[in-house]
Amino acid sequence: MSILNIFNQVEISHYIYLSTVLFAIGLFGVLFRRNAIILLMCIELMLNAVNLLFTAFSSYMGDADGQIFVFFIMVVAAAEAAVGLAILVLVYRNTRKTDVSFLDQLKG
Amino acid sequence: MIALFVTFFSAVVLLFLGLNKKESNYSIFAAISLFVSAGLSWACSANLISFGLLESWVPANMMSFGKEQHLFSALLAFIVGLIILMFRKNEFVGNDQLGLMMFSLCGAYMMVSYQHLVMLFLGIEVLSIPLFVLAGASKTNLASNEASLKYFLMGAFSTGIFLLGTAFIYGGTGSLELEMMGIKPSFMHAMQGMPLPVLINAGIVLMSVGLLFKVAAAPFHFWAPDVYEGSPNRTTLFMATVVKIAAFVAFYRFLNTFAGIADAWKGWISILGAMTILWGNLAALNQSSVKRTLAFSSIAHAGYLVMFLLMADGTNTWILWFYGLAYALASVLVFSIANQLSVSTGKNDFSAFNGLAKRSPFVGVALVIGVLSMAGIPVSAGFNAKFYLFSFAWQHMPWLVGLGLLGSAISVGYYFKFFKHAFMQESEDASPVLDRGLLLLLSALILLLGAMPWAVLNGIF
Repeated sequence: MSILNIFNQVEISHYIYLSTVLFAIGLFGVLFRRNAIILLMCIELMLNAVNLLFTAFSSYMGDADGQIFVFFIMVVAAAEAAVGLAILVLVYRNTRKTDVSFLDQLKG
Repeated sequence: MIALFVTFFSAVVLLFLGLNKKESNYSIFAAISLFVSAGLSWACSANLISFGLLESWVPANMMSFGKEQHLFSALLAFIVGLIILMFRKNEFVGNDQLGLMMFSLCGAYMMVSYQHLVMLFLGIEVLSIPLFVLAGASKTNLASNEASLKYFLMGAFSTGIFLLGTAFIYGGTGSLELEMMGIKPSFMHAMQGMPLPVLINAGIVLMSVGLLFKVAAAPFHFWAPDVYEGSPNRTTLFMATVVKIAAFVAFYRFLNTFAGIADAWKGWISILGAMTILWGNLAALNQSSVKRTLAFSSIAHAGYLVMFLLMADGTNTWILWFYGLAYALASVLVFSIANQLSVSTGKNDFSAFNGLAKRSPFVGVALVIGVLSMAGIPVSAGFNAKFYLFSFAWQHMPWLVGLGLLGSAISVGYYFKFFKHAFMQESEDASPVLDRGLLLLLSALILLLGAMPWAVLNGIF
């Protein structure tokens, strides 16, 4: 039995549940953690859950579009992480903290 | 397509012109290239010229270049050109930042002309990533840092939600192309008794939430006042006009695909629209900072535009175009005056406006025209825009239009603060230095669009 068959024996719904759970872990991480680096990791987790789901759908439907989409998501996530870390360095230079709790200067 | 081409290459040229020079400012060059992009786009929409060869490079299932797309591209390029001209003497204007602003505009072009969700996703990201940097352009200012980090976190977070929705829609409909996506759910809806798959419903909700984050509609607007307040004024203006218009066009095109199953999304989107109108207007009432007031007013305007999404039938795009133009002209006018006043007086609250009418009557009159247009008082572009929007939406959802009228009435309360300070208070501050030619041009355009909108609309559509 080839490795591909093993993958196909797992139902698509399992991939959907797995991705949704991974996505939810990332989402709650973004909502409840205070360290900016951890926030970045949680956002990556959300994007990777989506990548997994795209690949699973693509493989089940025999359509390449979803897999191509994954490449675009990876490229954009890398660009986003680069800009995000640059912003974080900027913030660190001014506050000496990577904690996002300083984000309360602006209030109405 | 031609607008994308011209804007992109002039941005690259700008970056090279600014190489090895610390103080470089080619704002005029940037503005001219943007006006050329706008002009060429408009000429394409009127079939005066065509760039078929250029457009054939892009597969037709990725991006489409119809009349509507050309007109929205022209509008966006025109607005960015105006913003760059208005703020050309401001600090933090280097070639790198002009370049970033123009790259961001390229993303906005992609968002108005996408045919494939990959292009929509790339458009949103190309629009957002330069803006994360521009929001933090004032490097040593903690407020700007905070705005940048907040905008980045919210942008990345909403992208994640948007992408999960895209994946669900891909799984549910089997396609990422805009034209193919809507067929399956509409067909299933037409067959009685066949419920929509959970995947499609969840996908529409999640993608809409991602886009609602971008347009700053309640309850996904919480980041907007802080980010708008902390960013440099030029970036704030860019976010409040270009990002909002491009995201609304993208949102409209997306929902239009699912017009066949409108029952699935009309209900909750109209409730969010009502919330946005009320929240934006009520919260703006008790703000002391000018920029925060304008931020909440832009949230309220997003609420009015939600009405437009609900009557998506593919024929009324001129309403969105006209509303975008009227709103952007008024915003550029009011923001640039507020910016100059806060620079010359060093204050960020309404007291910066004290005695403006006496200090410099010309700027006072321009402010009146801009604010009246934002509030939607007759003989201004804003009134006509609101009038068209509300009268077309009336057939679809009268209750939401009623709320919109109530919101407009509330909005007079905070727009009046500008007049109260400009006309009824005294001040010893120096008069602001503003480009009178541009103020005159903007005021004249607002009055022209207010007095005879059909002269303009018939010429364009």
